[in-house]
Amino acid sequence: MNRMELLKYDIIIIGSGIAGFKAAIHASQASKDLKIAVISKLHAMRSHSVSAEGGVSAVLYGKERNDSYDLHAYDTIKGSDYLADQDSVEILVKNAPQEIAFFDHIGVPWNRDEKGIVMQRPFGGMTIPRTVFAADETGFFMMRALYDETKSLGNVDIFHEHFVTTLLMKNKEFAGAYAINLADGSEKIFEAKACIIATGGFARIYGFTTTAHSSTGDGTALAYNAGASLKDMEFVQFHPTGLVPNGILITEAARGEGGYLRNAKGRRFMEDYAKAKMELAPRDIISRAIITEIEKGNGIKHGESDMEHVQLDLTHLDPKKLDERLPMVKDIAMKTIGVDPGKEPLPVRPAAHFTMGGINSDNEGRVLDGAEKAMRGLWAAGEAGCVSVHGANRLGSNSLSECAVWGRIAGEEAAKYAKTQRFADEKILSQLISDEEGRLKSILEKSGDVNPYELKEQLNRVMDTYFYVYRSTGKMKKGIAQLAKIKKQFYSVRVEDKGRIYNTNFRDVLELGNMICLADIVAQCAANRKESRGAHAMLEYTKRDDKKWLKHTIAFKSGDSTQLSYSQVRITRWKPQERKY
Amino acid sequence: MKSEHASNYIFLLYGSIAGIPLLMILYVIFRLIGNGAAAFAAEALLVPAFFVFGILSFIEIFGHEESVPAASLLLKAEGAQYHEGTDSGKSVYLNVKKFNPAKGQFERFSYKVKITRFTSVLDALLTAKAKHDNTLSIRYSCRMGTCGSCGMVVNGKPVLACQTNALDSSKDGAVEIGPMQAHPLLKDLATNFDEFFEEHKSVDSTLYRRNRNEKYKARKVFDMDREEMEKFLPYSYCIMCGLCQDACPVSNSNGNFLGPQALAQVYRYHADKRDQKGTERLEAVDSLSGAWGCEFAGACSKACPKGVDPASAIQLLKSEIMKAKMAGKFKEGA
Repeated sequence: MNRMELLKYDIIIIGSGIAGFKAAIHASQASKDLKIAVISKLHAMRSHSVSAEGGVSAVLYGKERNDSYDLHAYDTIKGSDYLADQDSVEILVKNAPQEIAFFDHIGVPWNRDEKGIVMQRPFGGMTIPRTVFAADETGFFMMRALYDETKSLGNVDIFHEHFVTTLLMKNKEFAGAYAINLADGSEKIFEAKACIIATGGFARIYGFTTTAHSSTGDGTALAYNAGASLKDMEFVQFHPTGLVPNGILITEAARGEGGYLRNAKGRRFMEDYAKAKMELAPRDIISRAIITEIEKGNGIKHGESDMEHVQLDLTHLDPKKLDERLPMVKDIAMKTIGVDPGKEPLPVRPAAHFTMGGINSDNEGRVLDGAEKAMRGLWAAGEAGCVSVHGANRLGSNSLSECAVWGRIAGEEAAKYAKTQRFADEKILSQLISDEEGRLKSILEKSGDVNPYELKEQLNRVMDTYFYVYRSTGKMKKGIAQLAKIKKQFYSVRVEDKGRIYNTNFRDVLELGNMICLADIVAQCAANRKESRGAHAMLEYTKRDDKKWLKHTIAFKSGDSTQLSYSQVRITRWKPQERKY
Repeated sequence: MKSEHASNYIFLLYGSIAGIPLLMILYVIFRLIGNGAAAFAAEALLVPAFFVFGILSFIEIFGHEESVPAASLLLKAEGAQYHEGTDSGKSVYLNVKKFNPAKGQFERFSYKVKITRFTSVLDALLTAKAKHDNTLSIRYSCRMGTCGSCGMVVNGKPVLACQTNALDSSKDGAVEIGPMQAHPLLKDLATNFDEFFEEHKSVDSTLYRRNRNEKYKARKVFDMDREEMEKFLPYSYCIMCGLCQDACPVSNSNGNFLGPQALAQVYRYHADKRDQKGTERLEAVDSLSGAWGCEFAGACSKACPKGVDPASAIQLLKSEIMKAKMAGKFKEGA
């Protein structure tokens, strides 16, 4: 029965998306003597970063194209509805360009023009074309290059399909992680000096979402339970163009390349909401516009799903452009709904896409606790973390640059730290390990009667209904009450599969536990913020309220409940202004 | 490389096939030399030998796919939790060939699920998992044809389940679903990719630069025009789903063959002008288990969900190997 294996690594990285692999590469490069493990709950090359389509933002040509770091920073801060920390944004924009070169050197085929110059395309909320891309499979190309690179490194081991169930903490210091190997159900203890959490976002708490099934926020929940604080969890980005009925992402690049949004009357309704930027306004603004149109009766009802939607019209685009720059849009639409976007408009509506909130982390990527003090041995990077550069609303293509930049920073910082540290005392670990073993056993062997998949559907329905694009105090109150019921029901969840080999049923239950934990925090943070800012739009409080609410929400665990506090936004050179597009 | 579920008892079957005539000969010999006790022992052993032969040949012939009668499981699968939806969808049966790791054999299950014209085979399977059989193991993630998780065999063809429409796939109201065959089986529809990843790793499929520090701290992109990019771009769409390997007749019969995925990736990096590995990578696959193992059946290219065309990559690889050989660039070939 006991097939537990004890492994020692200087640094473990949980998650194998762009941020995770970047961290591994730079930690590995920092010192050949460091032993590094990348632990992925999937086959490591299959993380959700592969689904990033449109591109990655960076100032490449500066003066030649009238671009500058300041302009990129300004766009990002304005896009964030002034909730981003401005010193962090400056780190992002200054470091993004070298990441484009990095990825070129490991094999990413950036689209180039006839002269061989790397191209940039327009994206929502960016003043000028600033988004570098590899067709419309940018994330996929970056991921494949990163995987191919990482597997060639002598001091990095990749653990595919290992699910981390808890962080082993000695007081508030990281000491290791407990993982289950999905293939045979055996347990692995990773004893380590430093840990980088790069597990991505948690938009799967919603039902209608663009994200992969894997985006369940496991690392965010692990950190929360280990004493870390979470920041700005109420800000969930709804991407305006989730394909109806499956929610699959139709990239913003479709509008960047000239696509129109039309309502039931065929009118380009963005004229009424963002006259200057039209379809290239930021995502929060377009998502609200779509829902407003639908509520005005200007939506179209989808036959099979009953979903109301608007249309994304690409029929006027040059077919060559569609094939060369948006091949995936065409492929997805043809294969999943049988529509050729060159001939017919696509049915779209806002879908949960990105979680701006996440593990509270500082500019070095260090994880902060409830008192906003750095925790020893813990880093976060990518969507799992919240530095924050996206504030209340992320601009498209800023997430890949964030992953690349903070992947590198966290990798290098964790390497510096690990070189000076010793492993924790094994005796302390053994108690933590047997506690976790007991907890998992009780979940696996419980004789409950709740079907976890039905419970997940309930969770999704609550989030889709009460915490969507527009929120109101009354609706959220209802939502919170229902979440409490779901939380209770989770204690009676049944794991039907009692086997050890590739037990996805058990994994699904553990993921569901993490999602319920995070959904509850999102709900509480959202209900408490009485203003409208970025992606958080309240019916009763329609305006941004800088006097009371220009601050980050900080959520942390206190006993069995979540405690909220607030912290200052770092404003440096860009004073909050009215946000118009 | 072949699934090993049969190996538990196959030696017993062959043992009994060889053992029965041997015991008969021994019986005759002992009778002839008048050793009655020994002859009786041989005769007694013949009975269980025939018994083993009978049972095992029955399993070998009928047991692989249907060791448990489908009808009895059908009843269980249509348990109380299932109820019809309100939308205008249709119902199909998913006939799933599940691999049971505890028994080391396949079992056939049938699940009735409601679908619409948009439902993918993956979505239908996930409905079956949620409503009928929580234990059903499937590997999946992005559900948009990019992560490469959900390769399986649908109606006899290796495909990505998320890219395959359930309604289009149903014949007489049923879809036949099983795991890939060229990868070792794990559980139900999930197969083991360890070897596949190892092969990919072994061929040095990384963009090689002599100076790694310069590579990671680069400030400028390479000069490269579209024509130069076109040389490797078609082969860089590989999502490592393993379907090409599953379709390849050589991979299915020769466990040593590196397979179309790994070989196509050798060519992908070789054809990239940014790479500095030279001919070393080619030399490593100049063998029958490498490029020369490919018989150009083209099944890999047909199966590839991303249009990578590994078959053509391997032929280009062969010609690059020949060129390098003739130029005297290989150590032993020089």
